[in-house]
Amino acid sequence: MSLTLFSTTKALRSASRHSQFALFDFLAPSIVTSSQTIRASLFHSTTSPIEPLQNAQTSHPQSLQNEPSRKPLTQSQRDFLDSALRVNQAGELAAVLIYASQTPLVIRSHPHLRPLMQHMYDQEAGHFSTFNQLIAKHRVRPTLMYPVWKAAATALGWGTALMGREAAMACTEAVETEIGGHYNEQVRVLLDWAEKLEGRGEGSEELDGLLKELRRIRDEELEHLDHAVQNDAKSAEPYELLTNVIRGGCRTAIWISEKV
Amino acid sequence: MALARLSKSITSRFPATSPCLTIWRQTCSYHSYEYVQPPPFPPAESAILSAAISHVPNYGFTSTALNLGARDAGYLEVSTNLLPRGVFDLINYHLVTQRLALKDTVQFPSEGEQGSAKKLGVGAKVRTLTLARLRANQPIIHRWQEALAVMAQPSYVPTSVAELARLADEIWFLAGDVSVDTSWYTKRASLSAIYSATEVFMTQDRSEEFTETEEFLDSRLNEVMKVGGFLGGLGEWLDYTGHSAVNILRSKGVRI
Repeated sequence: MSLTLFSTTKALRSASRHSQFALFDFLAPSIVTSSQTIRASLFHSTTSPIEPLQNAQTSHPQSLQNEPSRKPLTQSQRDFLDSALRVNQAGELAAVLIYASQTPLVIRSHPHLRPLMQHMYDQEAGHFSTFNQLIAKHRVRPTLMYPVWKAAATALGWGTALMGREAAMACTEAVETEIGGHYNEQVRVLLDWAEKLEGRGEGSEELDGLLKELRRIRDEELEHLDHAVQNDAKSAEPYELLTNVIRGGCRTAIWISEKV
Repeated sequence: MALARLSKSITSRFPATSPCLTIWRQTCSYHSYEYVQPPPFPPAESAILSAAISHVPNYGFTSTALNLGARDAGYLEVSTNLLPRGVFDLINYHLVTQRLALKDTVQFPSEGEQGSAKKLGVGAKVRTLTLARLRANQPIIHRWQEALAVMAQPSYVPTSVAELARLADEIWFLAGDVSVDTSWYTKRASLSAIYSATEVFMTQDRSEEFTETEEFLDSRLNEVMKVGGFLGGLGEWLDYTGHSAVNILRSKGVRI
């Protein structure tokens, strides 16, 4: 059972390995904890610091002067980035809320899990603030379902934590499997673009930066998946039912957030 | 099978059936800093329309202004057929160019060079930008009611509303607002409402330098700020109460 799971994680990781960019990036997983332990205030307005926005604005004229003849992004590329960033922000919002609502219940009965839950929460909060900044900087519309996802994620985290440690971990496993696959798809598309741009001799810092962030975040999500499996996610009571329902829910939520 | 077909038809129809969504989609798409934005109008159209705009104060938003503009730009009068929507294209040109001009006409001092100067809040920046956009209507304000009438024609309403939404988005973006939750929507919606009301008010304003319009705008913005502050406070209170209720139950040993 756990063998099959490890093979899925491996498959997820190796999916992007075929490209020259992705070589060995799985060897440097993010055990290096992210420096961003900014605790996003969960229930209040999620405003992020303003610096990245202004840096980007000031660097704007220079990049224009250097390369006046670059082909702009096509409408379909912009649409892809638009919905990708929107989904990612919604996903990280949900992840932060799931861990936040699981933590008190899980560490009450299993105090030794406190550092792990804190670690996973901190990483998710870092991802969330990363995407908040990206969304504000690139003028992407946040999802209209924001309050719905907030309620749903809190309910999911709380509900699975009520069912016990194993169910909570199975929830983590299901969510992170979907999210990891989702990030991998995005990385694959962006790598394809980056290769084409390199071929034309116009590398894009913006794209490379985004790729780097996405890879780092994907690795951290898959690390959470490993933690969940190590903590007996597989022995959750109706394991198949639980994970399948959660994974189906995740896919639906991704689909909806891409649209609205 | 039937279910699959149903979901497929829903997917294909989804963008078409919701004009509201289409508007937001047109409004905002990934904005890249590395590429030059293409000009909003092709050169010939742009030449004719910009020449026509200068005739608007005398001839209004009419086909006469368009024809004169075409002649000024060195085209035959018949070339106004290039613009299938006629007068509305002229109005749209005014709306789009004035929106895009905002980022150049209004310059805020950057964070670094503020010495003694007081830091401008986002609200103050929104006010400045909105006023700047209203002032751009000043030369043609006596003709603006005609334009509003054209924009209110059913076939032009979606474009007009989308343009209003884009203006609101532009103003919040230029003001440096970085909220990315539901308030993103409420902020844009309320600013759109305030802007359109103030614009209509301005067409009736006979005061010196449009001071009454300015007062009108300020009172509308204040109202929205009050309501927004109240709703924010209410949300915070509910959040706090819910959390403390759960924590009290937990401290009593209830396993929730």
